[in-house]
Amino acid sequence: MLGKTPDPAGSGRTKIAGLKDIDILVGIPSYNNARTIGHVVRAVEAGLTKYFPGRRSVLVNSDGGSSDGTTDVVREASIDFDSILLDHRKGGFHKLVTPYHGIPGKGSAFRTVFEIARELEAKACAVVDADLRSITPEWIELLIKPVFEEGYDYVSPYYMRHKYDGTITNTIVYPLTRALYGKRIRQPIGGDFGFSGRLASFYLDKDVWESDVARFGIDIWMTTTAIANGFKICQAFLGAKIHDAKDPGADLSAMLHQVVGSLFDLMEEYAGTWRTVKGSEAVATFGFVYSVGLEPIQVNLEKMIEKSQMGIRELAPFHRSFLPEDALAFLHDLAARPDRGAFVYPDAMWVRTVLHFALACHRKLASREHIIKSLTPLYLGKVASFIIETWDSTAEEVERRLEELCLAFEGEKDYLIERWNGKA
Amino acid sequence: MKSFIDKILIQPLQEVVQKLVAFLPSLLTGIVVFAIGLVLAWLIKLLVVKIIKLLKLDAAFTRSGVTEALQKMAVKDTPAKLLGRMFFWLVAFIFFVLALSVMRVPVIDQLLERFLLYLPNIFVALVVLAIGWFLGNFLGRAALIASVNAGFKVAGPLSKAVKGVILLFAFVMAFEQLGIGRSTVVAAFAIVFGGAVLALALAFGLGGRDLARTFLDKRFKKSGEDERDDLKHL
Repeated sequence: MLGKTPDPAGSGRTKIAGLKDIDILVGIPSYNNARTIGHVVRAVEAGLTKYFPGRRSVLVNSDGGSSDGTTDVVREASIDFDSILLDHRKGGFHKLVTPYHGIPGKGSAFRTVFEIARELEAKACAVVDADLRSITPEWIELLIKPVFEEGYDYVSPYYMRHKYDGTITNTIVYPLTRALYGKRIRQPIGGDFGFSGRLASFYLDKDVWESDVARFGIDIWMTTTAIANGFKICQAFLGAKIHDAKDPGADLSAMLHQVVGSLFDLMEEYAGTWRTVKGSEAVATFGFVYSVGLEPIQVNLEKMIEKSQMGIRELAPFHRSFLPEDALAFLHDLAARPDRGAFVYPDAMWVRTVLHFALACHRKLASREHIIKSLTPLYLGKVASFIIETWDSTAEEVERRLEELCLAFEGEKDYLIERWNGKA
Repeated sequence: MKSFIDKILIQPLQEVVQKLVAFLPSLLTGIVVFAIGLVLAWLIKLLVVKIIKLLKLDAAFTRSGVTEALQKMAVKDTPAKLLGRMFFWLVAFIFFVLALSVMRVPVIDQLLERFLLYLPNIFVALVVLAIGWFLGNFLGRAALIASVNAGFKVAGPLSKAVKGVILLFAFVMAFEQLGIGRSTVVAAFAIVFGGAVLALALAFGLGGRDLARTFLDKRFKKSGEDERDDLKHL
């Protein structure tokens, strides 16, 4: 079933590099990450040397045509092994810097990593973002070992993040993925994953590389594909996640479109799977969970609320074509609230909103791009409401608050299924 | 005297009667054809309305904004009824033309021929208007969503302007296709459009100098820490 496909994105790279029979492959997609990628490369090399000393490993930097010297930084990055008290076992670690082809984006970079993993018949793989500032050698151990030694196919990351970091994950992706597929994967679009060579090959055979999956949609696609196809999954606690913004040039609505669009597309593809799932269950978690101090995040709440209210008002005629009356009435009221303290977007209403956006895409009630991009002001409203509500809360309290949101999503699953099937 | 009366009155009258008698079967055939056409048109109208209801196209028209647009144009009928009526008149018109051609009147034949040659222009103009309408709606909505998400306070007017310009283009193209005031319409469009662009340029240039400066300051200066937002959404 998983036969080899041609390697259109640069066959023979590994032959040129003289590589074969690799045990571990670590991929780093990059685009103008010269500032941070050196640290990531060194952490990967240290992790492989420290935790997998007898294994043949390769680091693949799949670059999207950086103009800031990213690839030079990767080539030149090296570790002073004496200073970190490690023996450097020569010959076991290789670096491969290669450009990726296709639609510019993280997904296309991953595709190249998967191709090389298949070509080298790598047993265990990992991908880590090039913008990470908090990666340590232990990340490599935690992402690779569950695959290498425990037989897992997919290792999702689990980080400590600032309570307002990853708001698309917290308000949409995590609760909806958990409610749909029944697995409590806390960071389904974390960006740093471990996976088996078998799963890499499975990904490669999927015909998705011209869609949003080739961009920001890759993370949710990898996670959902692994869950929905019955691969053995777990998560690994990696500590703090501190990183640069994903793509400073990308605007919020484009990110939302790619991520949420991929999520909705996957709902179509795996409707037969998620319709039968009830509730959710925890997945095995590796690593020692601990609290960490995180960099503060500055939030311009006034601007966010203003943008949200203006967007809700302007887009009301369009939203009327697919949102139910009670949601429209609520939004109308929310957009008119001058008092910031009264700016509350309740979980139940937010869940209904997201589900009706998914249903609108499912029923093709308008252009899919228009539907999803018109979610942006509503999403900003939910984020603003969440921030107001949790301003003085600790990270643990915020987690408990998110748990309530997840349960609200799970509670509305039947509502979604009824309407998905066209009964209501 | 009698022969004179015969010549100027009786003979022409006889000729008229003869022609009328000769024309009567054609007229009757024409009337029958048109009557059949009216019945058929009525049946087709019912069928179209029924199909639209079965396919729930009325809801789709409401969602796509067609119903609202019709209401704005003071059309009280639903799109289903309107389409049914259009089909009725289309079929009735076709049978009217058939009935006229059955009568074989040379003048009517000539008029019909000219009309039939003109008909494709009407069809093309209608298609252009329909495409303009849908494109205007689509791009107007795209502009609205993009400008709302970019935080432009003039998102609504901007969207309406995009839609309006596309509709204007469609109307100009349709009129040009129909050959109605071809040069006048094109010249008027060029004057109006060029004038609007010039007016906007002047308005922005003179009236919006301070606004532009503020915008550029905000965009490129590193100051304005209060405006900063560090949220990483992914």
